[in-house]
Amino acid sequence: MNISPIQPASIQPIGPLEIGGPAPSSAGGSEFHSMLESAIGTVENARDHANQSVQNFLSGDGEDLHSTVLAVQRADLEFDMLMQVRNKVVSAYQEIMRMQM
Amino acid sequence: MSLFSALSVSASGMSAQRARTELLVENLANADTTRTPEGGPYRRKDAVFASDSTVGQFSAMFESEVNPSASGVRVAQVVTDQRDPEMRYLPGHPDANKDGYVAYPRMNPAEDMVDLLSASRGYQANVAAISTVKDMIQHSLDLMK
Amino acid sequence: MFEAVAGNLEQYMSLLSVRQKLVSSNIANADTPGYHTQDIDFRAEFAQQMQGQECLGPQTVEPTGLPMKADGNNVSLDRETRLLAENALRFSIATSLARSQLHAIQSAIEDGKSA
Repeated sequence: MNISPIQPASIQPIGPLEIGGPAPSSAGGSEFHSMLESAIGTVENARDHANQSVQNFLSGDGEDLHSTVLAVQRADLEFDMLMQVRNKVVSAYQEIMRMQM
Repeated sequence: MSLFSALSVSASGMSAQRARTELLVENLANADTTRTPEGGPYRRKDAVFASDSTVGQFSAMFESEVNPSASGVRVAQVVTDQRDPEMRYLPGHPDANKDGYVAYPRMNPAEDMVDLLSASRGYQANVAAISTVKDMIQHSLDLMK
Repeated sequence: MFEAVAGNLEQYMSLLSVRQKLVSSNIANADTPGYHTQDIDFRAEFAQQMQGQECLGPQTVEPTGLPMKADGNNVSLDRETRLLAENALRFSIATSLARSQLHAIQSAIEDGKSA
């Protein structure tokens, strides 16, 4: 799974208030959102593939045991990695929120 | 549960093979016995097996109505050889009749040895079955860990 | 969420138990005159259960092609021993797969607690 390094959500520097007001960091927001979605999608795919692999193995040896076991392990690892990434992101967010402005 | 009734079935197999072994060993030990309490020479004994569907507890009987019934095995009968004994000419023998012939058991020890091996193999197979089924039950328990 | 593959694994293991019971029965009756080898058509029964057809229980079939001995018994101890080992292996594979799935859900719950 390719995890691209986390791009910090682009925080607009606090500048003089302009008439229209600074645009909310929607660009950074949607980039993060879509990255999260694609990561979840990858994990979902791995999980579906693992389930399908197990099903094939059970119903009649369409699949080798080692392929099935590896697929299951891969899916579990991807899920674990996603969980860890999520944890880091959440703690980074919390740290930022704690910053005294 | 299927696996527990499998244990009963294999246990019955072990008992049956053991009973058969006991009879065969008795045959071999008495291959030259010319004198028995019933009179006459020793007569060869054999075990007749029959399949037995009432193995195990009541729950197994109920389950066998719903699921494929596994049948155990029991010794249905012990048959005694009814053939005439083998007569050998030994005039000096204490059990010789008036013509000098002694009645010996009609037996072929080689046949009994082969049967003994077969019974032993059957016994080992049943032991292997019990051990394997026990491992399967153990694996089911491991799901809880 | 708990059903998808975990449910099939349970049915797989149940069918294996039934088959193992028949194998034990065959081994116990290896010397019984007139006894015929009993088995179930594993793939057909499993496919049937996967399609959700609720039947009473698997049907017993008698495998063909087994040499018949003089007393009417056709149990082949080699075949039964092989099946004994194979069923046990498949069973332990199924329990391992089930266990890893349960662990995955468990770790998801654990990680969720700390959030």
